[in-house]
Amino acid sequence: MRNKITIMALLAFFQLTGMYAQQQEVTGTVTVASDGMPLPGVNVLVKGTNEGTVTDMEGNYAVEVGEDAVLVFSSLGFEKQEQPVNGRSVINVSMVENLEGLDEVVVTSFGIEQEKRSLGYAVQEINAEEITKTKQQNVVSALQGQAAGVQITNSGGAPGQSARIIIRGVNSLDPNADNQPLFVVDGVPIDNSTTESAGTPRGLTNRAADINPNDIESLNVLKGAAATALYGVRAANGAVIITTKKGKEGQVRINLNSSIGFEEINRYPKFQEVYGQGFSGEYDPSSFWPNWGPSMEEINAIDPDVRFYDIWRDAFDTGVQIDNSVSISGGNEKATFYGSLGNLGHEGIMPFSDWNRTSARLNGQIKFSEKFTFSGNLNYTISGGNRVPHDRFMERMMYWAPNHDVTDYINPDGTMKTYGNTNPLYDARFSTFEDEVNRTIGNFKFTYSPFEWLDINYLIGTDYYSENRTEITPGPLGIDGEVPLSSTGSISETSIESRDINSNFFITLTKDWTEKFGTTLRIGNDVFERDYKRFDASGSNFVIPQFYDLSYTSQISNSQDKRKKRLVGVYGDLMLSYDDMLFVNITARNDWTSTLPIGNNSFFYPSVNVGWVFSEVVETPEFLTFGKLRASWAQVGKDTDPYLIGQTYNSPSNYPLNGQVGFTRFSRFGDPLLKPEETTSIEFGTDLRFFENRLGIDFTWYKSNSKDQIIPVPVSESVGFSTFVTNAGEIENKGVEFIVRGTPIKSEDFRWDVSLNAAYNQNEVVNIREGIEEIVVGSQFGYAGSTVTMKLIEGEAYGNIFGSSYQRFGADENSIFLNEDLPVVIGENGFPLRNGSQLVLGNTTPKWIGGLKNDFTYKGFDFSFLIDFRTGLEQYSQYDNFFSAFGIAEYTLARNDTRVFNGVLADGSPNNQEVWLGQGEGPDGRNYGAGFYRNTYRTVSENFVHDASFIKLRNISLGYSLQENVLSVLPFTSARVSVAANNIILYTPWDGFDPESFSAGAGGNAVGFTGLGYPGVQSLFFTLNLGL
Amino acid sequence: MNFLKNKYTYLVIASMFMFSSCDDYLDINDNPNNPTEAPISALMVNSTFETAQNTFRMGDISTNYVQHLASPNPASSSDVMDPVNYSGTWSNMYNVMTDLSDLINQSGENGANHYQGAGQILMALNLGMTVDAWGSIPYSEGLDFQTITPSYDDDSELYQEILNLLDQGLVNLSNPTEVSLGEDDFIYSGDISKWMKLGNMLKARYLNHYSETGSYDPAAVLAALDNGMESNADDAQVEYFPEQFNPWANVAINNADLLLGGWISEQFIESMDGTLYGVQDPRLPYMVGATDDGEYIGVENGAGRGDAPEQGARSVLEPGDYYSSELSPILIATYFEQKFIEAEAAFGIDKSRSYEAYLTGIRAHMTKIGVEPAEIEAYMSDPEVSMGEADFTIDDIFKEKWIAMFLHPETWVDARRYDYSYEDFDLPVNVNPDLNGEFISRLAYPDSEVSRNGSNVPDVSLTDKIFWDE
Repeated sequence: MRNKITIMALLAFFQLTGMYAQQQEVTGTVTVASDGMPLPGVNVLVKGTNEGTVTDMEGNYAVEVGEDAVLVFSSLGFEKQEQPVNGRSVINVSMVENLEGLDEVVVTSFGIEQEKRSLGYAVQEINAEEITKTKQQNVVSALQGQAAGVQITNSGGAPGQSARIIIRGVNSLDPNADNQPLFVVDGVPIDNSTTESAGTPRGLTNRAADINPNDIESLNVLKGAAATALYGVRAANGAVIITTKKGKEGQVRINLNSSIGFEEINRYPKFQEVYGQGFSGEYDPSSFWPNWGPSMEEINAIDPDVRFYDIWRDAFDTGVQIDNSVSISGGNEKATFYGSLGNLGHEGIMPFSDWNRTSARLNGQIKFSEKFTFSGNLNYTISGGNRVPHDRFMERMMYWAPNHDVTDYINPDGTMKTYGNTNPLYDARFSTFEDEVNRTIGNFKFTYSPFEWLDINYLIGTDYYSENRTEITPGPLGIDGEVPLSSTGSISETSIESRDINSNFFITLTKDWTEKFGTTLRIGNDVFERDYKRFDASGSNFVIPQFYDLSYTSQISNSQDKRKKRLVGVYGDLMLSYDDMLFVNITARNDWTSTLPIGNNSFFYPSVNVGWVFSEVVETPEFLTFGKLRASWAQVGKDTDPYLIGQTYNSPSNYPLNGQVGFTRFSRFGDPLLKPEETTSIEFGTDLRFFENRLGIDFTWYKSNSKDQIIPVPVSESVGFSTFVTNAGEIENKGVEFIVRGTPIKSEDFRWDVSLNAAYNQNEVVNIREGIEEIVVGSQFGYAGSTVTMKLIEGEAYGNIFGSSYQRFGADENSIFLNEDLPVVIGENGFPLRNGSQLVLGNTTPKWIGGLKNDFTYKGFDFSFLIDFRTGLEQYSQYDNFFSAFGIAEYTLARNDTRVFNGVLADGSPNNQEVWLGQGEGPDGRNYGAGFYRNTYRTVSENFVHDASFIKLRNISLGYSLQENVLSVLPFTSARVSVAANNIILYTPWDGFDPESFSAGAGGNAVGFTGLGYPGVQSLFFTLNLGL
Repeated sequence: MNFLKNKYTYLVIASMFMFSSCDDYLDINDNPNNPTEAPISALMVNSTFETAQNTFRMGDISTNYVQHLASPNPASSSDVMDPVNYSGTWSNMYNVMTDLSDLINQSGENGANHYQGAGQILMALNLGMTVDAWGSIPYSEGLDFQTITPSYDDDSELYQEILNLLDQGLVNLSNPTEVSLGEDDFIYSGDISKWMKLGNMLKARYLNHYSETGSYDPAAVLAALDNGMESNADDAQVEYFPEQFNPWANVAINNADLLLGGWISEQFIESMDGTLYGVQDPRLPYMVGATDDGEYIGVENGAGRGDAPEQGARSVLEPGDYYSSELSPILIATYFEQKFIEAEAAFGIDKSRSYEAYLTGIRAHMTKIGVEPAEIEAYMSDPEVSMGEADFTIDDIFKEKWIAMFLHPETWVDARRYDYSYEDFDLPVNVNPDLNGEFISRLAYPDSEVSRNGSNVPDVSLTDKIFWDE
């Protein structure tokens, strides 16, 4: 501030001395193009002179110039703009943010702001607008397609459903490891776990979704080990650094944001609509079998009133999201504040599913003196909803015969209306699962700068939440003839309490030794504690129907789980800079963890990174504006969960029985000599800018090896345990990331920015401890031996899906991969033969991921779209397995065809036997039993593992900001209306619901299985933004 | 400013304190949820309960092989004797043996001789069930984590171990004890005399398994069962609980809820309805359900139910019957089984003892499942059943034992020793062609074992026989 005033005074002086004839006064207001807010402190200079002024708090300026002068407007973080006066006396200017300026400052570890040019590793920052434009309620989803090498996968379309984030591949062989990065808000790590419900999956929330995206000022993704070395063990998978909005000096500003969105299923599988209820082609209106009956024509010949309902569309609603938030901010030289209130209500497409989030935030900073600053951030969130179990709902949909209206589900007496099978809507309405999270995230930061070269910081933060979950399955209502959802009814109550405390003390010493050589040294101490408690109680057999209280059940059982973990770290960070072109950064940290045996629980990790702005030194061609090379090396450690060491006993949940509690040896044994995992990573990169920053290219190559992995190794159960937690195995990830940014068109009114990012990752399980052939990450049910398993095998990539296949003629018996090019072997019965041995049918980790973003602005209009893609991955479609088993899939229309299967007989001669695909006796008089689809097709996993690549229009948005001339007559300082659409699939070879769906939830690693997931949705949003 | 200076001092002191007490601060890794030791009484609770569960589990695997049950689905892998991965049951067997190993060691240390003795008998029983299904298995290098890849012990050597365990158990049970069994014993509620009878009965059972080998000693079998059970009251069984239903009841309940299972084999129905043996067995309605039309119709093993609907057209395990009621016991080892063992062992030595034991066995089973006395008498007097000592053959023993040991894993041992020569007992439809027309002789080693301990897993096929099966 003081500098600005000095400049103003100086400029005013020059202005006076430079006064001459034909001068005129030009006035105007400078605003920010994106939100129309006034911009103070903009330098307004007459081109070719030192004359000029700066804008005041309201963005106003006044300057005396010649008629033909050209004014140059410039401000840090904005594009420079020139305006010829041409005799005008009022020149209003809107400044466009320069998102990728060379002097860009990014927030790195512990909230430390660093110039991007000085960093020796890749960072990618996403600003507030880029986040809110996506209209995503979950901050993780908002990153989709925006950052190179960052893979975001929504686990489905449920309200509040979790999204998974993986940076540069999976780093752990442990099937249960959380491979997601650390989330840090305002310098303090927060919890982003996803606790799925036991039993059937319900699409629960990852805890970072408790943050209101409207409160976020910027989000920075730290990818490699070098970037996160200072955070120590907890950021071994990278870090997402979130900075929330702060108040600014000047007038109090109020911002209102209101949006409404509508959503529907974005893609349906192809269904047959010909065959109705029954089996073996025989109509039976009370049959369990929904679609193996005769054609509708034949059914209507029996009963002309029977209809074929489109149950898959009838059963779903239009989802609605309403998001309202208000923020108020302001401050003076001594103190600034930002406060916000937000409420999001979301009703999903699956009936009765919803999620709500109400959040309040208060950020404040007080400058007691030039030397001492105190700031505090406090966020309170209530979130939760009714989580309809998608898996169960969809399974009931499978069984529901389309000859009955699925939406007509209840009798006047409240019992279920059904022909026999359970109605999915009735179940969704009355079997409830409600969760409520009450969460407080807060921190205090003290900064004391007794000398210019010394900063002392203390940051203490907490993340506390309690979560209550109540699940109710009603029992019989006690009405004659009812079909109850459960013969007993049950209730379960879960209470989770989690408290994180982070304390971080560090001092920073800065010294410029010469004009060119400067150093910054930071040393600090970091302490983390997590205290977690979970209590579960459940009861069944309600004493009074419909009175759902745990106390009034006849069978009650409970369990509890307590966990505590502590980490203590000390660290040092030395930054050397020479002449603003060579930067060297050396860090070292030592952590002590409570989760490893004392004596083995200390680990040290060093890192070094170098940034060299060669364009400052070497003669470069004219078009190269800026060039930098980066290199880094780092080693980080990783600890594990509490209580893994040694042998314990536990009591299985079926006790007490007869008042007796049984104990059994716990199946897991932890190596008493367990030591930390070690990840070594190297990274090289370059950042090149051409044509005055109109084009930028950023390229990164990385390789990281994690060895001594702490894995629950499955061991022969005969030894007395089923898992042995020990250090075993190594996994490698290497890959490249590209970012290309450009501004193809830039004129006074029109601007077009484009940015493309793409990343390729290659993963290999380098080795697993001797004696262990494979590690099973997870498996998913398929009918009659078509269950698939995700397994890790030495020398292969993470994520291979194993399952049954058709027998192939001449297949290499030693190969674990299915060779689809070989001919299928046809059995003596004329049908393809099944190979039950487990072969690799696909891999669930995408080879390429990326995004393409385009932003256009024309006067008050802005238009943007974001496309993202993933390629080179396969998934198992459990849906398709069920669709074939129940005659729902479109391809089962061939059920009455006669066909010669393409393939060869066991002796290699071509098959020419004609067979019928239907059920029962065929036209040839032969009995075909349950028919091809049930006897053969559904039993072969190969039929259900498909390419799950996609290209999606993740977001398209059009907005209009009211211009100065209109605003001046309105009581607003800014106003913007916009319309946006999300998640429109442009291309996918996948047949089914949105392939971006998996049943494990964000915390799980078995991502290659769709389960009967919550279908993906596309949505349309209308948003109004007002500034007061 | 003073405040700030103090603050700074506090922070420095605080952080120094943290370093000095770092080890204490971090020494919080003792698990508050799971204890590191378990009382022997709690281990006994779980071991007795899980032994019953294991009896069910092994029975569930073999019941299609012996054609008590049949799958409602065609060519179901358990019906057609495909190699099936029974990793779960393998793990259950070892879980109990692991706990018993801890129980035996701990009770030995604190003089709880009766716990140790009962533990050894249960160990013998679980080890026996496991060996009878898989043959050679890890044992001497197993249970207490000497290695992660334990070697396999020979099945015949393991049989020596079973008999040793039973002998040691009987000795321990006859010794005074520091701690007595009580309600923590779900089998006998602490009745030591019954435990000793069980020990002897099991000795007879496992000695009798040698019947096809050269080392078969029927006199030793008879000597053992002289000290065995004396009535149905001595049966080793676990009665189920309102909180935990009998697992066969769950199969029946699930089937009623269309999760199909527990369908009765045509072979079983035809063996009891007079088709195969010319006598109507009154036990049929006590054991299995009828169709909606009141008929008893089974499913042919391997063929599936064909056009039959899910419900009402075939005999299935029904909730409420003796074997499939919520609170029904799981029968682990019974007086009637012992009587059939006696009949078989005595057959070549003392035929009249054999015949008497055969008749007593049938009667004991009929009484056990609650058949009306009049029905019992009618059946017992039928010449097909009481054919007289002269016409009495070994086939009669195996046939009646096969019916009485409904759903029990011992039946598969019998079937293999008897070479599946029951009346009109055929290979299932769609039988696994790799068996080359033979019946299955053992289970395939589970996938978990192949993937975790592959180098030690013996290379065997499903038709390779367990050592006692020649």
